[in-house]
Amino acid sequence: MSYLRRASPLHAARAAVGAAYCGAIVLAALVVADPLVLGVLAAAVLVAGFASGVGSRVARSLYLSVPMAALIVAVNALVSRGGLTVIARLGDAGPLGQLDITLEAVAYGAKEALVLVVIIAACALASAAVDPDEFLRSLRRVSFRSALTATIATRMVPLLALDAQRIGEAQRCRPDPGGRLAVMRAITANVLDRSLDIAATLEVRGYGSARRPRRARRAWSRHDLAFACSAAAIAILAIALPAPFSFYPEIHGSLGVTTWALCGALALAVLAPFAQRRGIRP
Amino acid sequence: MAALALAGCGLGAGSTPSNVSLLVTQGFGAQTVVSDSRPKIVGADTVMRLLQRNAVVATTYGGGFVASIDRLPGGGSSDWFYYVNGVQAGKGAAETKLHDGDHVWWDRHDWSAAESIPAVVGSFPEPFVDGYGGRRYPLRIECTQTSSKACAAVEHTFAAMNVEAFLGCLLCSQYNLSLRVVVGPYATLSADPAADQLARGVGASGVYARFENHGTRLALLGPSGRVVRTAAAGAGLVAATRFLGQPPVWFVTGTDAAGVAAAVSAFDAATLDQHFAVAVVDGAAIPLPDQEP
Repeated sequence: MSYLRRASPLHAARAAVGAAYCGAIVLAALVVADPLVLGVLAAAVLVAGFASGVGSRVARSLYLSVPMAALIVAVNALVSRGGLTVIARLGDAGPLGQLDITLEAVAYGAKEALVLVVIIAACALASAAVDPDEFLRSLRRVSFRSALTATIATRMVPLLALDAQRIGEAQRCRPDPGGRLAVMRAITANVLDRSLDIAATLEVRGYGSARRPRRARRAWSRHDLAFACSAAAIAILAIALPAPFSFYPEIHGSLGVTTWALCGALALAVLAPFAQRRGIRP
Repeated sequence: MAALALAGCGLGAGSTPSNVSLLVTQGFGAQTVVSDSRPKIVGADTVMRLLQRNAVVATTYGGGFVASIDRLPGGGSSDWFYYVNGVQAGKGAAETKLHDGDHVWWDRHDWSAAESIPAVVGSFPEPFVDGYGGRRYPLRIECTQTSSKACAAVEHTFAAMNVEAFLGCLLCSQYNLSLRVVVGPYATLSADPAADQLARGVGASGVYARFENHGTRLALLGPSGRVVRTAAAGAGLVAATRFLGQPPVWFVTGTDAAGVAAAVSAFDAATLDQHFAVAVVDGAAIPLPDQEP
């Protein structure tokens, strides 16, 4: 929600294309099973973040996703009954029976965690490098009211964050500051008031009777084309060139030519559009 | 640390149980899929891991349930069930730990007539030698006539296997924590609640045979639970069941004294091997459930 236009090829591309590019990375993360390919994809997204000038935000999202990733690994290791390579025995847990931690369950949990990390990184890249207003504007023709609602909602979030900061500062000036719950209550009351104001304003200005807007023609830039081709390539590579990898009952995967080729091709597809640096100024 | 070790906790695969065997069949033991007296086993394996190491297995529900073994799928009215030392397990295969001497038997069969078959005889001499669930149980032979030849023959069979057995009378104990082998004509056993299950049909006992007409007739049932044939005088039965979660009760019984003698003649590993129960009619051992025409 804190989008800032920067001098980067991804910022220069139209919002719909930027969103499709990040969506293709998410699709690839969901389709690919090989942890090596997922690792390369995560690294490529991080590099893409730095190439877009939002590397610190993508890196921060990766940092924040670590506890969730660790939780996924731990839960899968405890819940999964698959796998043949026992690395720890936790004994008989009554009705749950024998609890054994297997290498395969840990590895599968790590792979799922890696999927989550890539998805979070891709979403962080999208939120930092894709203009939300332009993206929602492009959705007006699909569903005007939904696009309007989403636009207002996205604009409300930073406003509420500012409100929370302001009320929090005021609260700290009091002898008895109170807890965060009091701030939350005040913010919630505030947002309801603002919603009523916005609804009344929209009604008065006649948004309710608005019609579907005309298509806005805009020529495709070199960055639009580059990122659209990149998105298509990422999706096709992930679907058409699957690197076979299985975790249960034993880990089976190849580090063959196909896997390395997929790693290289995906990294190239993710990063290639950033090579074009002309016309990226805001 | 010692308490954790005693509770079976630790790093690594743990110690490997000895003398474990694996049998995979279908159709109540009629067709062998995998038979391995020395299967591959690594550390403190579970029943599921033993199966996965020695057969092609597809699982569902996070590896907890068997979907197929060697591409023979479960599902519908025919599914995979497993028995350890002839006793149907109360837990999933992925939760059941293996112990020394365990005979693991997976069978794919029609369960439309009996959802549960609590005990089978096809792992003989188990569970008398190594018990089940990692625990050995005392054995009591209960004969309606302790001086009968049949009772002595059964006692001799266990003595030959170096299995200590205690001779006791029928219904001497209200609640049993022993494995029991009950020997005698069915008409004299019917007061035993476990024996009473044999007259109530396969749904109650898990045995595909039913005593009728006060134990003077033995109806042999097919996989669907329908009566295939009925035998009268001289028919014997070797079968196992459980009553109220007690250890398994085996029956060496028949429609009369001649039937008991016929059942005693079938009470050996070679005859019982890989069968859920065995009836003896006109001197011939018939695996149960009987084949439907």
